[in-house]
Amino acid sequence: MATVTAAITLTSAVGDLLTDALALSDSTAVTALHTSGLARTKISATAAGASASTIYTADDYAAPCYMYVKNTQTTSSHYIYIYNDTTSGDPVEFKLAGGDWAFFPTNADKTLRAYGSSANHVIEWMVFGTEN
Amino acid sequence: MATTTATLTLSSADLSSQALSITATQTLYKAGTTTGLDQTTGLNKVIYAAAQSNATLISAGDYEDNTAGKVYIKNVGSSSKDYFTIELGGSNIVIGRLYGGDFMFIPYEGEQDIDITSTTTSMELEYIVIFQAA
Repeated sequence: MATVTAAITLTSAVGDLLTDALALSDSTAVTALHTSGLARTKISATAAGASASTIYTADDYAAPCYMYVKNTQTTSSHYIYIYNDTTSGDPVEFKLAGGDWAFFPTNADKTLRAYGSSANHVIEWMVFGTEN
Repeated sequence: MATTTATLTLSSADLSSQALSITATQTLYKAGTTTGLDQTTGLNKVIYAAAQSNATLISAGDYEDNTAGKVYIKNVGSSSKDYFTIELGGSNIVIGRLYGGDFMFIPYEGEQDIDITSTTTSMELEYIVIFQAA
């Protein structure tokens, strides 16, 4: 089996966020067999629905997996919304501002789709996990 | 202006035939601006003696709505079988499971609680919220 290492750092200089420096560093090693690869698409939809971009299809993986998503827009007010398309009401799970990324586990049994605050926002994403 | 930076690196030598190396960096800004987030909970550590079900970890009532906070959560344990389920809002929409050693980093609008459910006793997690006031 392969190993994917995910590492995060949160940093802020002395006197910025806090009077002391913030230096949080963490990593986790994920045993992984499969990946979507790093994907990128231009999102045409500006609301939940059939034209929203699918970034993960329910049950593509048979076990919990991990997702990386990035809003590649450079303007912070250009949002991308990630919503759960399997659950009634299409609840929005994340609102990514331009330049933001997120890293999170997913149960793999819900379809995730994306739409933008206006058309043609570009998203990048990657899924990796232990089974397919 | 406070400047806080979050960097994620994903790497693997053997996931595919080509090495994986992705680095993403973001500066944590207030919603719709280029002004840095300036408040934080600090790094909290929580020990749950009993297994939890839909317990509030982060209360939306503590934060302004429609903002652009960030949340980091880590399962401090080492078990590959026991996990925290991370949930959003009153309907407890499941985001996913954090097994021992796993972490997540997500944007947070401050509009819904973040709840947790744990699979057994004596589990620990850490979290930090970096946020803005109205």
